[in-house]
Amino acid sequence: MSADNDVAIDSLRPMTEIQIGQTREFIESLKEECETYWDMVEIGDVLSRDLCVTPELVILYADAVEDYTPWYEGWKMNTWRIDGESPFGGAIVPPMMMSHFVLSVQFDHTKPFAIGSVHTFHDTEILEPIPVGATVRIRTEAIDKFEKRGRRYVRHAVTVSDVDKGTLYLRETRDIMSM
Amino acid sequence: MNVQPVPVAEAYRITPETPVGFDLIGVKKKALIQLMGSRLWGRFNPNHWDPVYARETGLAKPIQTGEMCSAYIAEMCVNWFGPAMFRNARISCKYVASIFADETITTYGKVAGKTPKGDGYRFRVDVWAKNEAGETKTIGFVEADVGV
Repeated sequence: MSADNDVAIDSLRPMTEIQIGQTREFIESLKEECETYWDMVEIGDVLSRDLCVTPELVILYADAVEDYTPWYEGWKMNTWRIDGESPFGGAIVPPMMMSHFVLSVQFDHTKPFAIGSVHTFHDTEILEPIPVGATVRIRTEAIDKFEKRGRRYVRHAVTVSDVDKGTLYLRETRDIMSM
Repeated sequence: MNVQPVPVAEAYRITPETPVGFDLIGVKKKALIQLMGSRLWGRFNPNHWDPVYARETGLAKPIQTGEMCSAYIAEMCVNWFGPAMFRNARISCKYVASIFADETITTYGKVAGKTPKGDGYRFRVDVWAKNEAGETKTIGFVEADVGV
């Protein structure tokens, strides 16, 4: 292993040789034949999936961005699941959390992950607070494909709504840049 | 006489009286590779957490998913707008440069406008995020109703 690679591993992510081996195996397992997103998607393509926004999922999301706003806590160590408190009653979902999950709807989970795709833009309307524990339907439709300064983009119209009540929680326009 | 400190949630809150040009205090975050590569975030793509893989694909270091920076900006706005960020609000962000592992990111906001609405105003705040070298990573704007 080169000195450069030693630095790259040890300074940012210290690991023993066992962990390094496990990491390389995992990365190998991700390799698969796939198309670019540009080639994979046609205008008018619609994908939709339902997600139960459990308290644990909210904690995993918020902890990774170190957002400790108490309104999001429907789960606490020692007590575990709780109703939580927010200005809207019980615990609520962070405003951009559902936008993050759009990614796993856009990239059809039944197909290989598209290579060389970068999320570049979103314009998100947060219409109503989402209670922790709600089941939401995330729907994304490819509405445009365009080129700008030599780069290729796919634009999507996204909605997030409550599966049981029908409440429209979020509307979003988002762009994916594709190789 | 004991003076009770004003709770943070009240001390740092946009009100109908907040003027155009007001600067929001942001949040500061370290782009930690262990968080960038957590299962709910970037684990699906080693470019978000593995330095060796990132180098093989031409990146100096692993890069964050853009949504992490949007979450930072949203946290700043929840601090300042409170419940107003969860109803009829808007967040628009453009990721103009990649955020690399180990960078320290600070978010910023400036009240760019306020339009009368109901009994209050619809505020528009320009938002952005920079690293410690002053390089801009994300730009955008946020809208929310205050006192409406």
